[in-house]
Amino acid sequence: MSALPDVSKWPFQSVLVANRGEIAVRVLRTVQKLGLKGIVVYHAADRGTAAVKMADQAIEITGSTPVASYLDGAQIIAAAKACGAGAIHPGYGFLSENKGFCQAVEAAGIKFIGPTPEQIDLMGDKVRARNFVEKAGFPVAPSAIEDDDPTTFVERSRKVGAPLLIKPSAGGGGKGMRIVRDLSLLEQEIVRGRSEGQRYFGDGRLYCERYIENPRHIEVQVLGDGQGDVVHVFERECSVQRRFQKIVEETPSPALSPEQRDKICETAAGIARSIGYRNAGTVEFIFGQQGEFYFLEMNTRLQVEHPVTEQITGIDLVLQQLRVAAGDKLGFEQADVKAKGHSIEFRIYAEDAARGYTPTTGPVLVLHPPQGEGVRWDSGVLQGGEVTSAFDPMIAKLIITGTDRADAIAKGDAALRDTVLLGCKTNTAFLRRLIAHPAFVAGDVHTGFLDANPQIAAEPELPSATLQALLGAAALSTRPMRDVADAVPDMHAAMGAWRN
Amino acid sequence: MQHAFKLGDAEHNTALSRSADAYRLHLGEQVIAIDLRTGADGRAWLTIGERHVEVVIATRGDDVFVHLDGEAYQLRYQHPLDRLAAQAGGSAEDHIRAPMPGSIVAVQVKAGDVVTKGQTLLVMESMKMETTIGAPRDGVIEAVSYEKGQTFDRDVLLLSLVSGDKK
Repeated sequence: MSALPDVSKWPFQSVLVANRGEIAVRVLRTVQKLGLKGIVVYHAADRGTAAVKMADQAIEITGSTPVASYLDGAQIIAAAKACGAGAIHPGYGFLSENKGFCQAVEAAGIKFIGPTPEQIDLMGDKVRARNFVEKAGFPVAPSAIEDDDPTTFVERSRKVGAPLLIKPSAGGGGKGMRIVRDLSLLEQEIVRGRSEGQRYFGDGRLYCERYIENPRHIEVQVLGDGQGDVVHVFERECSVQRRFQKIVEETPSPALSPEQRDKICETAAGIARSIGYRNAGTVEFIFGQQGEFYFLEMNTRLQVEHPVTEQITGIDLVLQQLRVAAGDKLGFEQADVKAKGHSIEFRIYAEDAARGYTPTTGPVLVLHPPQGEGVRWDSGVLQGGEVTSAFDPMIAKLIITGTDRADAIAKGDAALRDTVLLGCKTNTAFLRRLIAHPAFVAGDVHTGFLDANPQIAAEPELPSATLQALLGAAALSTRPMRDVADAVPDMHAAMGAWRN
Repeated sequence: MQHAFKLGDAEHNTALSRSADAYRLHLGEQVIAIDLRTGADGRAWLTIGERHVEVVIATRGDDVFVHLDGEAYQLRYQHPLDRLAAQAGGSAEDHIRAPMPGSIVAVQVKAGDVVTKGQTLLVMESMKMETTIGAPRDGVIEAVSYEKGQTFDRDVLLLSLVSGDKK
């Protein structure tokens, strides 16, 4: 399935990656492996990063902020035209789920490596997506949608019942979401949610849904060719989150029985099939303690955590995206998709877990990625680079694959221990504490697991032997201290020399 | 001569002296034989007492970064003069620093404004969430360092405050 296709008849021979960081590197790897020309756009803040060095051609773009430059579709399309790029891969985030961008790319005669604009439009709006999925006969959670009748929204939200979750209709990635446990705070939280939605998405419309206590987040990878064929590529368990954002993802999910796995994966494939989906996509579900699950949303793009799926199935998802965008049929069936082993992704962030997971910044003075069998390091950061507050603070994805879950956890601990990054605080020590926790080892986690176990984020007290070693290493590495010590030679040493 | 390193929020006093073949680390009453042999790419062998451990070390300015036993630590050398100045005082509350990197969503005050304790001074955004920075006490705004939309790193000075009666 991941044998290299003959690209000579493809409608594009070069691909511009409209993204940055690790995902730009990831996409370029497959593009270049196929013998296609790989192009990136970059803001000056990313000059010298791995993607820019790796690309066959790199075009600088500008903007009022670094992020704004990667959101400037018109400028990126102009760059693609100027260098004759035949296709644009949007990665994740930025313009990856922007219908207008997708349309403008196609209007410029460039292939968009993704779904159709209509599919982006349908799934990009949570309310529309939910209604569609419900009408198509798939399970959704009880909810209230503001747009249905704004004047009765508060009242209808109250009927959904506490606890409930308020979300911006146009949102994603946990931005602007609020949990309401006490209905007397409902109106106040709606006002706040609206203000955040307005600011992040330019759209203050909201919807409410029943909040499932201690739910799991399980998502299913799908692939469609837009010509009638859709397969699922199994599930990913993404329940370990902080601030509504995933931090450790794995496949297979330790929560599912074989029957539940079939059911949730088939549901996802059914949803994708019902829209004639083209591209790699992910159908996200909320999974309750009793095994019930509801459609959450569908991401019509490559997912951050896609590597774990690749590791256990051997399917290169970027390759499949390129193939179907080039007009190829999938060419394989559900029964051909097989999984072996267990894979876990650790998101290595520049952040201080003990201080509420706040982002950190700093230079990358030393970087020794871990190595070994079953170890994959997807990163856009190089030694000598810098972690700034201009972008998301993810430094790397460490993907560990083992024969089974226990093997992957053990290898993961060793790889996190061997990861050396100096100059900027990271969460590697936190991740080791997390995977050593009995509940994680048992696979018994939910999306509120880290909030319920704050001791995992807290830094344990330093043993005195460790403190001594650190002070010793620091003292001998600090010029003023060495100079003072060297200026006063040891009396016995001096006498020894004198006596000779 | 006493030196100090800051590790996390704690400050540790220490001193270094020569021994016949290497160095001695002084920690309170303890005197521990130490030595450091540096290799390529930051790797080094640290001898401390009877123990030998492999470490990775990087320095930048006053910061020493050490990877030890699978974890990374940051120690900041405290200059003797700065420590003296810090002891002389000055209230930390006069300087409102960024608790985390982020950007300014709204600035509610300007230099010269009289503010009361708890009053919203500015709203910042970090980690996709809003945080409100309030006045730690009554006073007068001396300076505002950032405008709406600007980004900043952790620990930078956002606002400074003076007592009302100083004005």
